[in-house]
Amino acid sequence: MTATTDPVARNEWIACGWLGQIRPGASHDTMVLGQPIRITRKAGDGYRIAEIGEDGAEGRELPVQTRYTCIFTTLGEPSRPLPEIAEFDEPDRIVVGCGNVGVNTSPYRLVENFLDMAHFSFIHVDTLGATDKTEVLAYRTEHRKDVDEIWAVDCTFFQPAASKAVKGGQMTRYQYRVMSPFSVMLYKNISEDSDRNDAICVFIQPLTETRCLAYMPMAIVDNENTAADIADFQQSIFLQDRVILENQRPALLPLDPTYELPTRADASSIAFRRWLKAMDIRFGIYEKQAA
Amino acid sequence: MPPDQWNAVALDSQIRASSSNPVIVNDYAVALWRSASGQVNAWEDRCPHRGMRLSLGFVEGEQLRCIYHGWGYAPDGQCRQIPAHPDLTPPKTICARRHAVERRYGLIWTNLADDPQAALPDLGADEGWVAVRSIFLTGGVQEARKAVAGDLAEWDGTVSDGDVVTLEMPDGTRLAAAFQPVDAGSTGVHFVARGPAATAEGRHGLARQVVQLRNRIENN
Ligand code: FES
Ligand SMILES: [Fe+2]
Repeated sequence: MTATTDPVARNEWIACGWLGQIRPGASHDTMVLGQPIRITRKAGDGYRIAEIGEDGAEGRELPVQTRYTCIFTTLGEPSRPLPEIAEFDEPDRIVVGCGNVGVNTSPYRLVENFLDMAHFSFIHVDTLGATDKTEVLAYRTEHRKDVDEIWAVDCTFFQPAASKAVKGGQMTRYQYRVMSPFSVMLYKNISEDSDRNDAICVFIQPLTETRCLAYMPMAIVDNENTAADIADFQQSIFLQDRVILENQRPALLPLDPTYELPTRADASSIAFRRWLKAMDIRFGIYEKQAA
Repeated sequence: MPPDQWNAVALDSQIRASSSNPVIVNDYAVALWRSASGQVNAWEDRCPHRGMRLSLGFVEGEQLRCIYHGWGYAPDGQCRQIPAHPDLTPPKTICARRHAVERRYGLIWTNLADDPQAALPDLGADEGWVAVRSIFLTGGVQEARKAVAGDLAEWDGTVSDGDVVTLEMPDGTRLAAAFQPVDAGSTGVHFVARGPAATAEGRHGLARQVVQLRNRIENN
């Protein structure tokens, strides 16, 4: 595809690489929103990102930020800054980067899958869900207008093995946070007696409307497992989701509330779709063919 | 609007009890599923909840369950259970899109029209047909029909061309080829037979001949 003209999508910060992916002095070609770009790691630690023109030459230079183990850029003029995620600055946490995983679907299907507890008992059997405990208890969703984010709070779900650090089943408490159409995270409270949450993010790089790379940085409270163990656990969970994600039809997200029918457990998806509709984003959205 | 026309989509024996299978007709994805008791259903291959392909679902008794969140659908298309809310009676509006389906002549047929009026092709009595073999040919349905009729004309017997191409063999066996338009570049051809050669062993001989037919057509 050619670069999207959708100003809403263009004005978001988008992850396009991870720190450590490119050697100093080397460069890496990729794409955001249909626009080919080249990321060059300068001799020091800085990055330079430029559009690649039809002729293969570097064109317009793009803004760069590095944070949360990722490299971010934008094609437009961002209306919001990168999100603040304080957990990544706490010195005693394990921060894990995980590289990226390719998924052939639209970015919003990825976000919705991440927000969704109802699939745990079917897709993540014996880890995030149990086949005999499928109920999703009521939770609240909020549109936090000050930061323009969607939150789902007071979420709980029974999990047989909620993370690498826990043994045995328990009710896990979650909070979900959608920071932009292309970034989402959760706070997961595993230890009953602790106020400290694991923070797990998904930053999505839409290559095109239906091809994405997902980056999963995490800031975890865990004294026993290594970063590699934690990354392996997340990776195995994510690969289970990928099979699902690549088999949803259509891959683009329908916003018409009669085309796909939600139930109470989908409150976060309902809030997310309303929010997308209100911001009038067009990139990656399914426009139903007139019958 | 899909045409009011019956297309064979599988050999009846291929669709096992308690299974859901992907089938494509004219570029349209269908989940062909059979309940534990043997009832066959042809549905749009898309879960009304969040678009998951129902051909990847699993059958539990008389219900098709979607693999993503486990919603269960009865043969009338209605959603009967939503595991996230075990006490909730799913609203009537949650209903899978069903298509007309028939079992006849050892084949499963579907018609995607909203209000099918067309009759199934007439091959005479329904009893005695046995499955031979399904093959897929490169090219659209017209091309495939012509190629199959052309090849069968070289066999011993009399060919009649039509929606279903048949061959009357000298021993009285009838071989029938029914067509499934998949897309512009691919056509399914489902072969069934009836008569003296349509026995357990005879079937295998016919199946081998059908594979040779495919090889001749595809290598041309
Ligand atoms: S998509 Fe089928 S149950 Fe959710
Ligand atoms: Fe998942």
